[in-house]
Amino acid sequence: MNTNRFILDQLAAVFAAAVFLLPTVAQGADLLTYSVVARAGRFIPDTLNVPAGVRFKIVIRNEGRDAIEFESLQLRKEKVLAPGAASFIVIAPLKPGEYEFFDEFHPNTGRTRIVVK
Amino acid sequence: MGNALFIVWRETIEAMLVIGILHGWLSARPDARAGFPWLWGGIAAGLGLAVFLAVTIMNVQTWVSASALEWFQAIMPLAACALIFQMVWWMRRHGAGLKKELEAGMASAADRANWLAIAVLAAVAVGREGAETVVFLYGSVKGSANGDIALGSAAGFLLALAAYWLLSRGTRFVSWRAFFRVTEVMLLLLGGALLVDGAEKLVGLEALPPLADPLWNMGFLLDDSTRTGGLVAAFTGYRAAPSGMAYTLLAVYWTLALGVLLKLKPMRRKG
Repeated sequence: MNTNRFILDQLAAVFAAAVFLLPTVAQGADLLTYSVVARAGRFIPDTLNVPAGVRFKIVIRNEGRDAIEFESLQLRKEKVLAPGAASFIVIAPLKPGEYEFFDEFHPNTGRTRIVVK
Repeated sequence: MGNALFIVWRETIEAMLVIGILHGWLSARPDARAGFPWLWGGIAAGLGLAVFLAVTIMNVQTWVSASALEWFQAIMPLAACALIFQMVWWMRRHGAGLKKELEAGMASAADRANWLAIAVLAAVAVGREGAETVVFLYGSVKGSANGDIALGSAAGFLLALAAYWLLSRGTRFVSWRAFFRVTEVMLLLLGGALLVDGAEKLVGLEALPPLADPLWNMGFLLDDSTRTGGLVAAFTGYRAAPSGMAYTLLAVYWTLALGVLLKLKPMRRKG
């Protein structure tokens, strides 16, 4: 049955394509940048005001004592950070409205709103 | 404790489901013994992958590797989705006649590819969510040396293990046919969820156009940032505000699954 080989070949092609695409992804050097700090299960600040239609970057620093997962299904991002770690995400231009990030490891307290105008 | 229990349960249940189903399937076919080393090898590779990814996540120093990691995390669920689709295909075609085919020497080459697919699927299932569990546990151990969290995590893991046990022993409680029907649908649902996960991540990386963004917003019905909504999302691909791209792909997936895959008949022996 050739289907198996076919599917495995396709998988290999997808992986290869991803590797070739890597260098073309913008690294986000001169983007509008916001900082969010996670501490004691909360995000500081809890609201970001962002202009509509602009690509922007959020730098997240985990200054808390346990791991966080900065996640939004709506904005298609998730980022797991160990205590003391920092990373960033780049968000594609958004339409006006309110979007939410939450901390999956602290679901009751950790929330950030992004207000796009 | 409740939170740690839920997180560890949620992060491990997916791998347990996939492995439980594969294990149950292999066990019910005495002639499929050759697949077991591949399954165990895949799980071991998956644990290695989880630790490797967790270390990468924890030591992200340069922005470049952060973006490579995001790419990897977008491609992984898509690979898993393709493997699940192919696995259900194979299970269907070989439902009844695997032994005969092995005897006839027909299954050899195709089955070697399949054992490999089983190994890769097990590895991806364990590695994908396992990495997050490792970071979470590392964080809670390093952070507050909290007995509650350790207890909750252990309980969550045991609950997921119970699901695995039920699935791997499933055929002893219900008929083979019923077991196969149920697990097939579970695998396909999970495959759809993985497809949406990967597609949405690629849209988020701006590698795929969103087509319509959002396609609709059903947040008032079920908010996917709540615990229940998140669980439904993880197992079905539900999104309160999906992109047109993700749901177009999901529609194609289910059309193929319902229109082609579930209509497949077991392969007939030639001659």
